Amino acid sequence: MDDDPGSIRRMSTRTRKAASKMAAALASTDNRNQAALARLEALENDNAGMEMIDVNDDEDASLDDDDEGYAQKRQSKGTKRTTRQAKALENARKAPRTFLELVHEANLESLPPHVPSYLRAAVGPPSSTSRRHFCTVCGFAANYTCVRCGTRFCSTRCQNIHNDTRCLKFVA
Amino acid sequence: MTTSNVVVLDNGGGLIKAGIGGERDPSAVIPNCMGKPPSSKKWLMGDQLHSQSDLTSVSLRRPFDRGYLLNPDLQRDIWSHLFSNLLRISPSQSSLLLVEPLFNLPSIQRSIDELVFEDLGFRSLFVADSPSLVHLYEASHCPYGLLAKSQCSLVVDCGFSFTHAAPVFQNFTINYAVKRLDLGGKALTNYLKELVSYRAVNVMDETFIMDDVKEKLCFVSLDVPRDLQIARRPGKDNLFRCTYVLPDGITYMKGFVKDPNEAGRYRTLDGGAPPPSTVTKEDMDQHEVTEKPEDRRRIDLTKNEFNLTNERFLVPEMIFRPADLGMNQAGLAECIIRAVNSCHPDLHPVLYQSIILTGGSTLFPQFAQRLEMELRPLVPDDYQVKITTQEDPILGVWRGGSLLASSPDFEAMCVTKSEYEELGSARCRKRFFH
Repeated sequence: MDDDPGSIRRMSTRTRKAASKMAAALASTDNRNQAALARLEALENDNAGMEMIDVNDDEDASLDDDDEGYAQKRQSKGTKRTTRQAKALENARKAPRTFLELVHEANLESLPPHVPSYLRAAVGPPSSTSRRHFCTVCGFAANYTCVRCGTRFCSTRCQNIHNDTRCLKFVA
Repeated sequence: MTTSNVVVLDNGGGLIKAGIGGERDPSAVIPNCMGKPPSSKKWLMGDQLHSQSDLTSVSLRRPFDRGYLLNPDLQRDIWSHLFSNLLRISPSQSSLLLVEPLFNLPSIQRSIDELVFEDLGFRSLFVADSPSLVHLYEASHCPYGLLAKSQCSLVVDCGFSFTHAAPVFQNFTINYAVKRLDLGGKALTNYLKELVSYRAVNVMDETFIMDDVKEKLCFVSLDVPRDLQIARRPGKDNLFRCTYVLPDGITYMKGFVKDPNEAGRYRTLDGGAPPPSTVTKEDMDQHEVTEKPEDRRRIDLTKNEFNLTNERFLVPEMIFRPADLGMNQAGLAECIIRAVNSCHPDLHPVLYQSIILTGGSTLFPQFAQRLEMELRPLVPDDYQVKITTQEDPILGVWRGGSLLASSPDFEAMCVTKSEYEELGSARCRKRFFH
């Protein structure tokens, strides 16, 4: 409560979700980068197969009989605010945000260069080794690149499979 | 219940390790998530999930994303379940030793403090980071070793969300030298899922099953081009091909490796003896259920099984070469080199000699061997490279925490509830040098 609500917090959930995707789309104009980014992003998903579930949908579902104390506490907090706007604000504040939003909010770039932070701890680009390419269809060394989406394949056979199945799958 | 209870909580993104300080092993190791099987309407806790017979298509909610606590509400529910049902302690009479990820953001620290003091009401809190605890444990393990005498080590923590190479000096993590690689067990499981789903059966929803596949079948290759050649061979010459049977919900409730001997054949490659019969009892039971040996060769799509060949070593390979995935990050060996190079030059030789591997993702067979192979050419000739593996890499951090919690001046290092109430979160955090 002690911090003032930042500009991100005031936005609706939908705006926040769409905004990050649009930013990602703008940052990479061509299909290849977009496909690569989407693939990396997919590696951090919890439930890859299905749509991301809205986490607020079962806010009032009780979890366990033993947790009643906590559930009650939360409800009593909720009943204080009755107006719709206040409720929306409350929800937006409580809703889990993405890690990138939090990093952005923490404003780590503004720290002086000698202060170690999350951003500076990243290992950085490789120096000695170049990228090896593996066929996305069969996994062996791939010499060819799909002209449309940039994924790799090793043979005509794999190319056909790739074209039939998931060429441009990650590009919306 | 005595008044000097210290709860040690290694709150990982994948597994929560929790127990009472001073004991050797944590009393609860549960997945840090809530899951909902398609048949159920209720979200179940991680430990309840594992008692369920059917783990197919469980949808998951995790409080952690990319290694940091993003959903404190969910974490509170998991913790209160953990403390009241599994550990059976009352927070108001206990202290908490909590392991936090390195470089935790201030906003997340604040929400954790709120959780610990206001929602759960712990008496006092101490926040530790994993590298220093691992160092503490290893140093106390052999008090006359180099590690204990030089008081420094390089801890490589390859966990669920990411991998850190962190130099430790005199029990403190040298935070300006820590290097992070954004790959961990979660990304590897997801990568394996993607590969298998594209090439064989759709398993995108089967996180738990694919975790099991990864743990049982994946290994680190010592020579990737050679192994790729071998993986091309047809029939019996292909030492890597093996079959995993998915649960069908009728005869098998859990997935299993069809032929454990077949799965271990790769060990013969690098001069190793054929695998000792490390077949667990559980595997044996299921093994008897399977049909005659000649049927094993065939893949029957109606039976829900799939073959793995090069996926078995290409998946863990990503930790050593993230660039292959398209990530703009250096591999683990280079990560270690950069971490060491950020320290004072006098420390370099000692650091290279005391590399400790910890974290669940270091459990892949041949991990340490491969790391040494990659490190040796990068390290100056005069320095020795010595890699120590922990006996139980998943519990290493917790055991260090348990040691620290049983030290006599532990209570003095904690922030108490009244201090927190008076000074607030940020001020109290200063004490932990974060």
